[in-house]
Amino acid sequence: MENSVGKSINFIKTSEKAQHQATYHHKIGHKHGEGSAIDYYAYASKIRHWNPGFKVAFSFTTLLLCIGLNNPFVSIAVILGMAFLTVVKGGLPLSAYLSVLLIPLTFILLGTIAIGVDFSRQPLGQFNLYLGLGYIFTSVDKLQEMAVLMLKVFGAISAMIMMTLSTPSAEIIGVLRKAHVPKLVIELMNLIYRYIFILLDVFNNMRNSADSRQGYCDFKTSCTTFGSVASNLLVVSLKKSNAYYTAMEARGYDGDLVFLEEEKPFQISHLFIAAGFLFFLLLLWYVTK
Amino acid sequence: MNTSLNIREKRFIAVAAAIALVFGFTPVASAMHIMEGYLPVGFSVAWGVICIPFLIAGYMAIKKNLKENPKTITLLAMAGAYVFVLSSLKIPSVTGSCSHMTGTGLGAILFGPAPMSILGVIVLLFQAILLAHGGLTTLGANTFSMAIAGPFMTYGIFILCKKIKINRHVGVFLAAAIGDLFTYCITAFQLALAYPSESGGVAASVVKFLAVFAPTQVPLAIIEGILTVVIIIGLETYAQPELNDLGYLTGGVK
Repeated sequence: MENSVGKSINFIKTSEKAQHQATYHHKIGHKHGEGSAIDYYAYASKIRHWNPGFKVAFSFTTLLLCIGLNNPFVSIAVILGMAFLTVVKGGLPLSAYLSVLLIPLTFILLGTIAIGVDFSRQPLGQFNLYLGLGYIFTSVDKLQEMAVLMLKVFGAISAMIMMTLSTPSAEIIGVLRKAHVPKLVIELMNLIYRYIFILLDVFNNMRNSADSRQGYCDFKTSCTTFGSVASNLLVVSLKKSNAYYTAMEARGYDGDLVFLEEEKPFQISHLFIAAGFLFFLLLLWYVTK
Repeated sequence: MNTSLNIREKRFIAVAAAIALVFGFTPVASAMHIMEGYLPVGFSVAWGVICIPFLIAGYMAIKKNLKENPKTITLLAMAGAYVFVLSSLKIPSVTGSCSHMTGTGLGAILFGPAPMSILGVIVLLFQAILLAHGGLTTLGANTFSMAIAGPFMTYGIFILCKKIKINRHVGVFLAAAIGDLFTYCITAFQLALAYPSESGGVAASVVKFLAVFAPTQVPLAIIEGILTVVIIIGLETYAQPELNDLGYLTGGVK
């Protein structure tokens, strides 16, 4: 797919592709920026050479503290700290960081609205909206709770994506292996991770060829095409799974899958900085409690 | 593939598409993963613990399968990757917003509900890592709603429809759509338990969450049902041998 003109066939550039999809695909298909984007950023990150175990442990502890302490100041500190790590240390463009951070936005908006407003036959709150059958109401306290919750959720998400934007999946699986997750699950994860990209590739080819034959011209045709492509994808993936098993056996597979893992030394200085940050969070919580 | 559909099937798709059009405004909606940070620590742990017996059952089922037939490992991995890819694809929608299938319903029909629990938890983990959908602390709750409750419901309805001899495709539609709706109800319930309403407790809160997510989730469930049927029709037309192959994963129930 390399094209020197680099304009019409460029599968990496998201915006052009999205625009093309908006015009011709009837909004169907994989937005190519999304699935592989996080994986791509993880490999491109400047803090990729940090010890993966450290990154996973640090991000998870921060996540737990952010949720457990449930304090808006801690949340803000986590949001800023993680943004610093990912954007400044990791060298990820700010716009890319924000677009990843905003993926769960719809859920957050809908979910927080459901928590923030309440309904009843009587006007119980400070702000009431009469809707024929009863009242939808809310109060300053509720709105405050909503704001705190949103901060907490964004803190938690930024702690998680700090890890995912700097640690390739294979390394995360390696950490899980060291944490004694059953071998079978680890093997499945490793295989699934590899197959995902193979299938996405196959899907892209099928989608393009269907698209060039007007397969997505209207909603009904889109549905039929989607179903056909998806069922074809399953057939192809089953055939491939047979071929891969044969390939594995040909290379001496006898029930153990061993994957190469890069050794990444652990830096003591990171531990001190991380401990300092976590201690700072606890202190912040204690002071503003 | 168009030519392979006979007139009745075409008519079915047309009618189904019309229904989807009537219901069909779907704002941005992924398959309702509870996002990271939404559940308090206690609830996260509790839902994780509830999942454990199902995961162990799934693990045992897979292990037994592998012992009998080592070739299953690549097949299972492909199944997992397939469910992931399916759930990451944007499905056709009328207003042009982005929505996704759950995929686990189809997975349960094809591969059986027990292996789906293990595959589901792996897929959910990858969705959190690669797509930023869902999260690590909410993994337990999401696993329960999407990889356990939904698939078991789907599979149950699929078998039930088979028993009472409803048309196979109608059965598939019902199984996938109701499984999806069930997932959505469970998620609403999980959120409501964590955030009960002050005036009416958990019950009122369930109603609130159901109401807020209904405009996105109900049309989505119907579209998911339709697409699952279209996929199954495609498979029956082109992949009879492969479907028979899958039979040994589910213990003979195709």
